[in-house]
Order: sequence, then C-alpha cells, then structure tokens
Amino acid sequence: MDEKKVQKALSNAILSYDSGAAEKAAKEAIRLGMDPLKAIEKGLSPAIESVGEKFEKMEVYLPELMLAADAMRAAMSLLLPLIPKGKSVSKGTVVIGTVQGDIHEIGKNIVSNMLMANGFNVVDLGVDVKTATFVDEAQKSKADIIGASALMSSTIGSQKDIVDYLGSMKIRKNHAFMVGGGPTTGEWAKEIGADGWGEDAATTVRLANKLAKGK
Amino acid sequence: MVQILDVMDKALEGTPMSESDYQLRRFAPKVQEKVKEYKIKYDPKNPIPNDGSLADDMFEAAVDLVAEVGAYCTSTARIISYSEKEIRQAIAEAPEEIELGEGRDRKKLRGRKVGDRTPPWCLLGAGGGACSSDKSFLTLVEGYAEIPETNGITTPAITRVGGMRIRPASPLEILGAMRNAVLAREACNRVGREGIPIMNSLSTAESDIAFAAALHPKFGMRRSDAYMICCMDPMKVDFARLNKVTTALSLGGPIGMCEGPLLGGYAGGAEGTALSNVAHHLMGILTYQSSWILPFPIHLRYVSSSCRELLWVISTTGQAISRNSHIISLNLNYTSAGPCTPMCLFETSASVLAAVTAGLSFESVGVASNRYEDQTTPVEPRISAEVGHAVAGMSLKDANEIANKLLSKYESKLSSPPLGKNLNECWDAENREPSKEYKRVIKSYKKSMANLGVHLKDEL
Repeated sequence: MDEKKVQKALSNAILSYDSGAAEKAAKEAIRLGMDPLKAIEKGLSPAIESVGEKFEKMEVYLPELMLAADAMRAAMSLLLPLIPKGKSVSKGTVVIGTVQGDIHEIGKNIVSNMLMANGFNVVDLGVDVKTATFVDEAQKSKADIIGASALMSSTIGSQKDIVDYLGSMKIRKNHAFMVGGGPTTGEWAKEIGADGWGEDAATTVRLANKLAKGK
Repeated sequence: MVQILDVMDKALEGTPMSESDYQLRRFAPKVQEKVKEYKIKYDPKNPIPNDGSLADDMFEAAVDLVAEVGAYCTSTARIISYSEKEIRQAIAEAPEEIELGEGRDRKKLRGRKVGDRTPPWCLLGAGGGACSSDKSFLTLVEGYAEIPETNGITTPAITRVGGMRIRPASPLEILGAMRNAVLAREACNRVGREGIPIMNSLSTAESDIAFAAALHPKFGMRRSDAYMICCMDPMKVDFARLNKVTTALSLGGPIGMCEGPLLGGYAGGAEGTALSNVAHHLMGILTYQSSWILPFPIHLRYVSSSCRELLWVISTTGQAISRNSHIISLNLNYTSAGPCTPMCLFETSASVLAAVTAGLSFESVGVASNRYEDQTTPVEPRISAEVGHAVAGMSLKDANEIANKLLSKYESKLSSPPLGKNLNECWDAENREPSKEYKRVIKSYKKSMANLGVHLKDEL
C-alpha cells in the first residue's frame, strides 16, 4: 500500500465509523514510515470534519458522530506519540465534562465529539465530574479551555464553583472557561465570570476556536 | 409481574457491557434495524398520519426492541433484560386508570384512544422550568391552579435558597425540594384548589436524597399526588433513580417516568425517535415501575417539540400506544418561542393537537425551551388546555390539515424564534391576568384558530 492509499484507508475508516479499520490503517502508515502529521492532516482530519458537517446538517446523527470520533481516537492513539515535540496537529486542548450532581451526557457528548471533529484535543471527563477534577485535569493536560455542561437548573451552580475554584487557586488565567447546557444562557455565563456560552454544538466550536486563539 | 426486586436482580446479574457499547453498538443499530424491518417511514406531508398499520407496526417493533436491547443500569454496567412474555404481561397489567387529587379535585386519569371525545387529562404548568424567586413560583402556580381545565400541576423549579444558588445533592437542594413542596401546596390553597394533585414531585429534587427528604408528609406531599422520575436516554437507569422508585413505591404514590428521546440523538431521525419513544413506555412500566408515562421528545437543534418531525413523532407514538395498550401517557411539549408571541401559542397548539387526537393526554408546557428563568406565564398552559379540550374527538385527517396550517405560521422561524417577554413583563400578578399587550396577542391568536376551525373560549 502506498501513502495515497493509506490516506484513503484512514479517511474511509472514519467515514465508515470503523475503529478496527482506522487502527489497521494507522499501523500501515507507521509501517510505511509515513509522516504521522501528514497521515492525520490528509487522511483523518478531512474525514472527521466531513462527519461533523453532516451532523450539523442532521444528515447523520449522534451515533455516527460518536463512532467516527471513536475511530479517530483509535488511529490518533497510534500516530500522536510519533509526532516530534514542538509540532502539533491540535488547535488546542479542551477538558470537558458534565458538572457534579448531573448525569446528563448527550449534550456534552455532542460538543465533545464536534470539538474533536474540528481539530481539538479533547479530554472528556464524563458526567458527574467534581469541581476539583475539572481543574486538576486541566492543569495536568495544560488545557487551553475547560468546558462544563449542566442540564438542570439545580446543577448549573456547579459551573460557578469551577470558575470560583480557578480564581481561588489563582490559576484563572491559565484556562479559558466556557459553559453550556439546557438552562444556561449568555447572561449566566457573564454573571459567573465564564469566558463564553455555547448555545449549541456549532456555537461552542466557534467559541472554542476564538478562545484557543485568544490565549 | 416484574417487581422492583426483580429489576435489582436483573441489574446485578445481567450481561456486562460498557455504557458506550450499549448506546452505540447495541441500542442505536437495533433501532435502525427495527425501523427497516417494520418499514417505518416518516412522511413530512402528513405530520399527523392516519395510518393504523404504521402505529401497530411501531408498537410491535417497540416490543421487539425492548426484548432485544433491554434497559441499561449505569451503576452496575449491566443490561437489564426482559423476555417478550414479561413485556407483554407488563403491558396487559399496566394500570388502566389511577385516581389523583383530593376532594372536588380528585379525578380519574385514564388512557385515551385515537379520536377519543373524552377530554384529555391536563397537567398544566412550567414543566420544571426555572423560576427566580419564591414570589414568581407562587405567582405561576396560583395561575396554573386557577385554570378551570387543570387536572394536575407541574411546578417550576426553585433555583435559590437563602440567596444561594442550589448545588446538586447538597443541603441547598434538599431545602429547595422541601420548599418546592410547601409552596406548591400553598399556591393551590390560595386559590381554593387545595385538592389538586402535584404531579411532577418534585422538580427541584434531582438527587434521590432530596426527593426522599421532601416527601415527608409534613411538607404537604400526598399519596394522591404523582411522582415523576426521569429516565436517562436511551433506556438507562441507575441506583439513584431506582432509589426514587423504591421510595415512591413505599409511599404508594403512582410513579410517572418521564423520558425525552432526542431527535438527532441515539435513535437517529423521526422514525427511530418515535420507535424509541414507544419502547421507553414499555421499559418504563417495567424498570421504573411506572403507572403512567410522560414522553417529551425534543428536536436536537430547536430544543422544542413543535416542528414537523416532532409532531409526527408525538402522533405516531400516541397512536401506537393508544391503539395497542391502555398505558396512560401524557405528552409534554416544549416551544421554541417565548411568552407574548403568537408563535409560542401556535407551537403549543400544534403539539397538543398532535397528542390529543392520537389518544394521549398532555402536560404543557416548557416555554422557550425552558432555558430562561421566569420566561413563562400561566397563559401558555391555559391556551394548551383550551386547545386540548377543543380538539378532543377530532379525526386524524382533520387534525393533519390543521397541523399543516399551524406549521406554516411558525416553521420557518424555528431556527431563530422570538424570546418574547418574561413573567413580570406580560403577566399582571395583582389582577391575575395577562398584560394588555399579551391580551391583544391572545385575541388575534384565537381569531386565527377560529379560522382554522378550532373555536376557543371568548375570554382571554
């Protein structure tokens, strides 16, 4: 298999939501001594972006988006360690999760996978994430952005706790902080001192692009 | 008959599987497989379809789906499986009626049928929408209780206690849930409808501990109220939810499982979302031991249930359930637009029309996607109730024609709906009536509805 074919195989693996095929194609890229950056930028990235665009237009749905992201992760886990230090394929790192006491995951999953589809390195902490865990993980992964989702009017208070905790630790400037979820609004984001509000997945991706550039 | 100990046994002994694999590799593909197998097809021209075989196929597909994917317990990471025999037995043994409320407001909530002339059960209020203060909570609930058609109240959620915003599973949430119970009863007392049942007990209690704590009788909750417990999409449960189930069962209060499949989510498009919605009914009477079900399917983009696809989902779900079972089901609708806009009233009219003509009762309404505090008034549920009573008995064919005309009034605005005005801006709490501006909106809306053949009350 030549490099062109490997690129195609990487792309096809994402477009067919096939983690096994993505892993196989990534191994083939490594066997050929292909530049891992090229494998990602020419093979994987355009395909995952295409799935993200289709999801935005509701031509595909959440399972396809998540399976494509799984396939992307499978290939990236093999290719990323081979990228020389100082070179990056990512627009930035986002630590994301649903806040403490809230187990709603769909909105967070959509945003998490759309961020990945748009070139971010995403550390997804899952649901019911403690305030300190958001901050610890952001510190550990040197995240550019922390994203906190909350779906209940009784749980959005935990978003304020994260921004307050960052302030108390005197590391507020280290990480941009964005919020989203059913009962959140732009006014709420402003009130608690967040750097922005993602009304939906598309606006959150735009916001993340802006916040990552602003750092 | 599957009981709570059976559910626990299944949750502890079922096939182990990761949550991600259950959602993406078991539930999602099986939904699409059943859609194909039963040839379920969404028809955008007919948002309220008149096809009994579609509804019956949908129901059978849902029985298959539940038998093949079961439910999923996130606490044990295991599948809760049900045999077809258990599912059909649960359908046969589901309550045909439950009695709620006290005194003059004690009524029987029954399942309805397609084209049923019996007025729907009107569960009216905020659908758990957030309110900013005790004052706005009382204003809203008093307004809901005063609506003549109100059979049950769905309260807003309290967001602050002692000046502090509620934190989940904390003393603040417990105190908020207790306050929710006390104020809801107080508001009903103030307008002379002390017997009316509170049916979303308790919207402020997200955690099991807050739920259990606030059900102490001293806070005013009764056995004749109803106990709402929200399912995690898709088909998921955890110990916290089962704790709520066990608590409500011990009190003897009828459990209503609410479930909100997302169009665009794990079940895919309109066909899969409708199938998932019906399947959740069957899963709910088993896993959540529910006496009634509260579906609230929602569109991923619009975060409301008034678009063309969602009307189809509501109608096919209702037809499937009411033609093939006596399961009591109340559809909860959400609007994209806010109070004091014609769009909001047309949206809720369309969703209620789809539900009631398909044999469902309803809960109404989450206004402006329930996103903003106090962005709701007693007007929107009142209008829903008037529509619900006016269209009871209407044929699916006539309802479809009206639905298409209603859609033409707002469909193009769903992407950027008007937010309207908030409670203080368009509701006169002192005189218990809408503002002059809102009255003009209502008058014009009622005229439009009359032109469509839906005659509502003269008063505003």
